[in-house]
Amino acid sequence: MSQQTLMAILIFAPLVGFFINGFRYKKHSAEVAGTIATGAAVISFISALLMVIDLIGLPAEERRISVQFFDWITIEKLKVVAGFTIDQISAIMVLVVTGVGSLIHLFSIGYMHHDEGVAKYFAYLNLFLFNMLLLILGDNLLVMFVGWEGVGLCSYLLIGFWFTDKQKATAGMKAFITNRVGDAAFLLGMFVLFLTFGTLNFQEINHLVPLTSELTWLAPITMGTLFLFIGATGKSAQIPLYVWLPDAMAGPTPVSALIHAATMVTAGVYMIVRLNPLFMAAPNTMMIIATIGGLTAVMAASIGLTQWDIKKVLAYSTVSQLGYMFLACGVGAFGAALFHLMTHAFFKALMFLGSGSVIHAMHEEQDIRKMGGLKKYLPHTYLTFLIGWLAIIGVPPFAGFFSKDEILWQAFHSPRGHWVFWAMGALGAVMTAFYMTRLMALTFWGESRFSKKIHPHESPMIMLIPLFVLAILSAIGGWIGIPHVISEILPGQPGNFLETWLEPMIKTVPGTEHAEPSLEWGLMGISVMLAAISAMTAYHFYVKDPSKPKKIAASLGKLYDVVYNKYYVDEGYFCGIINPLVRLSKGIWFYIDVNFIDKTTYVISDLVRGSGLFVRGIQNGNIQQYAMYIGLGVVATMTYVLMR
Amino acid sequence: MSADVFLFWFLAILTLAGGLTTVLVTNPIYSALSLAFTMIGVSALFVSLNAYFLAGVQLIVYAGAVTVLFVMVLMMFDLKHELITFTRGKISGLVKAGLVALFAGLIVGSVLITSDVFSKSGGAPEAVIGGDTTKALGTILFSKYIFGFEALGVLLLIVAIGAVALARSKGGTHAK
Amino acid sequence: MQNSELIGEIGLTHYLILSALLFVAGMAGVLLRRNAIVILMSVELMLNAVNLSFVAFSHYLGQMDGQVMVFFVMTIAAAEVSVGLAILVSIFKRYKEINVRFFEHLKG
Repeated sequence: MSQQTLMAILIFAPLVGFFINGFRYKKHSAEVAGTIATGAAVISFISALLMVIDLIGLPAEERRISVQFFDWITIEKLKVVAGFTIDQISAIMVLVVTGVGSLIHLFSIGYMHHDEGVAKYFAYLNLFLFNMLLLILGDNLLVMFVGWEGVGLCSYLLIGFWFTDKQKATAGMKAFITNRVGDAAFLLGMFVLFLTFGTLNFQEINHLVPLTSELTWLAPITMGTLFLFIGATGKSAQIPLYVWLPDAMAGPTPVSALIHAATMVTAGVYMIVRLNPLFMAAPNTMMIIATIGGLTAVMAASIGLTQWDIKKVLAYSTVSQLGYMFLACGVGAFGAALFHLMTHAFFKALMFLGSGSVIHAMHEEQDIRKMGGLKKYLPHTYLTFLIGWLAIIGVPPFAGFFSKDEILWQAFHSPRGHWVFWAMGALGAVMTAFYMTRLMALTFWGESRFSKKIHPHESPMIMLIPLFVLAILSAIGGWIGIPHVISEILPGQPGNFLETWLEPMIKTVPGTEHAEPSLEWGLMGISVMLAAISAMTAYHFYVKDPSKPKKIAASLGKLYDVVYNKYYVDEGYFCGIINPLVRLSKGIWFYIDVNFIDKTTYVISDLVRGSGLFVRGIQNGNIQQYAMYIGLGVVATMTYVLMR
Repeated sequence: MSADVFLFWFLAILTLAGGLTTVLVTNPIYSALSLAFTMIGVSALFVSLNAYFLAGVQLIVYAGAVTVLFVMVLMMFDLKHELITFTRGKISGLVKAGLVALFAGLIVGSVLITSDVFSKSGGAPEAVIGGDTTKALGTILFSKYIFGFEALGVLLLIVAIGAVALARSKGGTHAK
Repeated sequence: MQNSELIGEIGLTHYLILSALLFVAGMAGVLLRRNAIVILMSVELMLNAVNLSFVAFSHYLGQMDGQVMVFFVMTIAAAEVSVGLAILVSIFKRYKEINVRFFEHLKG
């Protein structure tokens, strides 16, 4: 099969699934719709796998499969081709998206079984997959932007999937509007880059980037990358645009797993990795990215400490982990960012699906205060969730450990890094360990606190299979990127496969020195130790001595309230931006639109109408009057002739 | 004052009086009668201008046929009275009356102004056509104006058909 | 032109003025009367006035063309009267009304 055909199947299979389910969304049952949608996703995954195998067969320097379908836009200098590329970076992403996507489709068959709009749900899910593939595979910024907007739309549709609930519909709108802010910046970034380079193609841009770094703030590359980064903060939920992601949990849980944890929210990271030579040339932007990433990691984790909704905890965790990825990008560790993106997709999807399984078992109960002791009711879910927990808090040799450690090490060691970034990351890791252990403790361990009427039941096999697969991936997924210091002591000395794979695509930070292995061991040990202590403290608080957390919360007083209320960021946005904007709009509407523009047009129309009425009075149907006008004309003419 | 002069003044006054009566009288029957009177006066004026044939035609067509037509239609309508004879609007009525007066003044004025032109440019009494003009009229009508004449014939035919079509009862004589 | 001449010697001017006065009378009828039949009569009056001036010109200028015109005008006037009256008859049959103010269908 030619690569063009394969690429077309890869991209358009979900679209076909979307059309089949979308046009018959009232007729299909969960099984039929789910099979169609999952089939489409699996077909995509298989095609992606075939293409990646092709890719591996190529020599390292030429690993790139480009397919160009047609010339999309050609206006003078602007030439945009509907072209798609699989290279080392997009290969990882496309496998993650189609693979995890297929698993989540499968899970959804069980989870959405009783829902009325199930076919519509699967149609949206397929449409999302299609747009995500456009985003990943597009070989220029504009095609990526189409996918970027498309996933935003699908995210909106799926968050507000149960739109009869006003709160959920509002959450969807919030996500959409917040993303719009970022998307506007993304567009501006595209303009700046086009003005600078005269092209939107990734490969061409990366080739044209000058070797010297820009040191000023207003230089074109710095400006362009900053705008792109603002776009990324919208899509990837970073400060200041992260507020939509926790609310996005209003959607069905598999959607949270797919869109708001594993794939869509990582689009910003992916975009930055894609353009890494460009970002590398703008150290100022990199600094901003690292700072924002670090701050987000810490802040979101701290909010996660106080939340009671199982999905909210996971949502803040997602924001925090995305912060790690940006931190990695900011210090120039693009490979580490992509690595963490991948492992995070595994374990966070696993945890979301696990929480979906819990919520399913608890009859739509999401408050972890009303759970507890679920270990014996949901053994399989518990087991997989445990693996996810171990992965996210960074216990070796689970996936999260390798990627997180890589990021922390790079934050410290990289020439663009700083020990402050390392401290932020470590602090985030400590808090992550704490709130994740708290989540485990309140959900699965300890006494059961739910009413006797609820009898939790284990989920069906169709929901458990994806959990098992993701659990395995979360356990071993990190082994493709084992750092040198560890591999040296392992038998057979396995190389860092990921680093070798990405090497041609990722630019290294100039001036990287060889580091002392002892330092790396030391830092690794410190972060793991801190996380372990934190996890044990949490275990002690929430399992052994459940009264302690309340006392501590009470002793913290105001500070606890501030964190519990998410630092009042939403309220701040309402006070600072939304309400003034609404008031301004109302003022403009009233004074300019109603009182000026409308009235002006009314005056003009009244003038026309009035003159019409006046002239109409002359045409009164009285023929004698008409004869009189003739007479007037004759008299006037004669007078003129005689007077001349 | 010669007979000619007397005849002109006599006929002029008669005709004008007839015309004014036609317009001013309330009852349409009297209007029709005055109109016939005016027609006869004009016919007589034609005679005084030596247009004998036209005078005859005038008598037959106007004073005869047209007036009879008017009277017959009036008879069919059977109008006992006319409630409002003239236009009601005071302002527009005044404007119209003023207009009429102005028009009259203008025409008379222009005629008086231009009378000298006519008397100088061969409008002298010597050019007056004397005797019977019927033969000359016939000659010119059937030579120079033959097309117009034929067209008029066709027009009359069309008018005859049109008038019948307009005024007939629905279904004609075969109406049930 | 002296007053005595004006009265004692008849010329083209006299006929034209008479014609003008007749025409104006007819015009007043058209503008002011309400009865459609009387309006038609007034139109006839105006046509006659024009005829008179034609004949007068023909007489005083020594040309026959004016009389031919009168001939044509008469024909057309007769045609106009017959059609006009036919229209009036059919209108009257339908609405029982011949006051022109009643027919305001040309209203804009």
